[in-house]
Amino acid sequence: MLTRSSRWMIAMSMLGLLFVTGCTPKDEESSGTGSGGAASKSDGGTAAVESRGTIGFSALTLKNPFFKIIADSMTEAGKTNGFEVLVNDAERDVNEQSKHIDNYIAQGVAAIVLNPADRIAIGPAIRKANEAGIPVFTCDLQCAAEDAKVDGHIGTDNYQGGRLAGDAMIEALGDAGGEVLVLHFKQANSCVLRVQGFTEVLAEHNKDRESGNITIVSELEGGGLTDEGFKSTSDALQAHQNLRGIFAINDPSALGAWTALKQAKKTDQVTIIGFDGQLDGKRAILEGKIYADPIQFPKQMGVVSVQNIVKYLDGEDYEKVELIPTAIYKKADAEKDPDLQKTPTPAPAPGEVSLIQTFKSPG
Amino acid sequence: MKRFIADNGSIIVLLALCAYYSVVTLGEQHPNTPAAGQEVAAAILKDSSEQVTVVVITRDTVQDRAYSEAVRAAIETGGGTVLAVVNGAPTDARLALEQVGGAFSRVDAIATNHSASGWGPLKPQKLKTTADKFPGISGIKVFKPQSYTWPSFLTRENLVNVINQNAVIAIIAIGMTLVIITAGIDLSVGSLLALCGVTTAVAIQQMAGGADAGTIGLLGACLIGTGVCTLCGIFNGVMVTWFRVPAFVVTLAMMMVARGLALIVAVQYQSALLGGGTEGTPEAVRIEAAAFGWLGNGATFGIPNPILLMLALYVLAHITMTKTSVGRYIYAVGGNPEAARLSGVPVFGVLILVYAICGAMAGLAGIVDASRFEGGRPNAGEMYELQVIAAVVVGGTSLAGGEGRIFGTLVGAMIIAVIQNGLNMAGVASYEQKCVFGGLILAAVLLDRFKRK
Repeated sequence: MLTRSSRWMIAMSMLGLLFVTGCTPKDEESSGTGSGGAASKSDGGTAAVESRGTIGFSALTLKNPFFKIIADSMTEAGKTNGFEVLVNDAERDVNEQSKHIDNYIAQGVAAIVLNPADRIAIGPAIRKANEAGIPVFTCDLQCAAEDAKVDGHIGTDNYQGGRLAGDAMIEALGDAGGEVLVLHFKQANSCVLRVQGFTEVLAEHNKDRESGNITIVSELEGGGLTDEGFKSTSDALQAHQNLRGIFAINDPSALGAWTALKQAKKTDQVTIIGFDGQLDGKRAILEGKIYADPIQFPKQMGVVSVQNIVKYLDGEDYEKVELIPTAIYKKADAEKDPDLQKTPTPAPAPGEVSLIQTFKSPG
Repeated sequence: MKRFIADNGSIIVLLALCAYYSVVTLGEQHPNTPAAGQEVAAAILKDSSEQVTVVVITRDTVQDRAYSEAVRAAIETGGGTVLAVVNGAPTDARLALEQVGGAFSRVDAIATNHSASGWGPLKPQKLKTTADKFPGISGIKVFKPQSYTWPSFLTRENLVNVINQNAVIAIIAIGMTLVIITAGIDLSVGSLLALCGVTTAVAIQQMAGGADAGTIGLLGACLIGTGVCTLCGIFNGVMVTWFRVPAFVVTLAMMMVARGLALIVAVQYQSALLGGGTEGTPEAVRIEAAAFGWLGNGATFGIPNPILLMLALYVLAHITMTKTSVGRYIYAVGGNPEAARLSGVPVFGVLILVYAICGAMAGLAGIVDASRFEGGRPNAGEMYELQVIAAVVVGGTSLAGGEGRIFGTLVGAMIIAVIQNGLNMAGVASYEQKCVFGGLILAAVLLDRFKRK
């Protein structure tokens, strides 16, 4: 039987342990400024990568694997270029993100990368970085604030992705056509563009047709989330018994839609097109739950962000706004995909980096 | 001794944390002041015997301009020649070096600072290849100020940042401390913050004249915003007292209602802006009045205004709680409401007042937030209620009521702020941060129990 005071000792020491382990920074990051001996006066030219300082990356939310992939690829690309990448999670809060930018300025980082949590309200924070002379790059999401200077952007061509989704839907439904549901997330500008592309392709398809039209019968809020996608789809299935297709603006809501179809026993009647190409989504494509996804390339976003920073610091030219087109991904692609072969964190495929080059040409 | 530690435990923890982070963030600091510029100029003049020719390269910031100006002046008074002063981006540096390398036969030195010395065009290898084409710069040397070792946590800029970033939380925590001293709780503060921000923004745009709004108009709009929140607070208080609904339930309901209202107002406003045809999006209501940014982004005597507002409110609250009868009533109600009632304390009035103050503080915080982000954000302040409660609890206020100190809450808020700042600067992922904060709150409550025993 423990005495009262020894119980206290145990509780406090366990908490203390938790606290210390959480607080201890990783070894290689123990220097807060993260600056090395840059620009020595002697002729350097050694083979080792010269330290070029720190890149601060304020991610939208690391709870979404998409942004974690961007962060990880950026950290890796940063390392090969001599940067230490400091990753912070804004948890979708622009206030938190502004704190990160303040911290980066105080630390004197070489460059800042962010996924703006609010395309307008992030303006004052970016202006502060501008005043401090630190270049700011956005990634995936763009900043729309006036007089906030952003030195480069890399993102997905969402409109083109929406068009690909439309093409896939036409292919899946064939000449019969039918009723289609859109699971939207109107808050995000990127999703508005996706749905716009999707709708336009269908309108072009329907233009000279007498029969077999594909009509969007409903546009519901899916919240970009599995549970909301599930609810909305269940409701839509009640209202539209003959539904034949669903376009969900991301993978989580597409998976929610699939659960609803399964409950209603309509998985063979309705085809789902998703978006993103997250691991869960790719797996669902492999299993035949989702017909196709226009996939994005988060790894490239991280890599290109670092490349642009290097070019900026070297005084070279680069594309100020670069949109990576999506690629359609179907079951046949999933069967060949190394990411789905039980490897938890696959090394970046060599082919992926070369893709960037080919994308740059139509300029 | 034991008594002292128990009483000032949170301050000791705060100081220990500061010391800890000072040690782990020890690193090179790079001066960028006019004085550093003069030193660099002196080093350049000393290095060459004859008429020295110099290019000054820095970024385009106020500080960098002052630095490069100091270098230029010192070189020229020392008899040297400044061929060019570049305040810009790396591309400008490259172009300038190519230009002087082509135009002049001999360029001796580049004077720069730490940030610009990391640019590609100033690297030794790159300078060599440039010199092949532009031989004027073949003998060029790069000079920058001497760095020194100092914790990056302990710089004035960082410490001001830490406090400034968390002023909003600390302001709300004043109201929350009062509520918790009366053994209540208020979960609606985060939503009230958003509601106040949005109403104030709409009031400025619609009633005070938007971009041309004068000081009185702005103050009026702020009054409307805080007034709405105070009314919500009074509503909470009335429900808790006259209708005997538990504070947790009332304020949980208010949390949802206020968030919903904030979103509705914002969406309706956006919709009206677009002509009313389509439904708006839940984006921030932009405030065009430039003067409104003064509160959130301005500074007085070099100290950011949110910090000054926070300190003023804390002093006011401290005096109220220690020197006035209202303060004594609040403690009495929290300690034992029945005894307080019997000794003539207006218990209902005190409780309603406390919830009203809590709403008003959330409103003030909302105005700071709206001012900082130049717009009323309907999504602002999500989960703030929990951060604020954490600050109050870590600051030593007992959830059982009757006990707690205003400045304890400030220390509590700063402990959380310092930990977060340090973890952010060290790049610790948010996943681990959550564990640390959870443990911290638990530790604070355990400490509280320990003290009572």
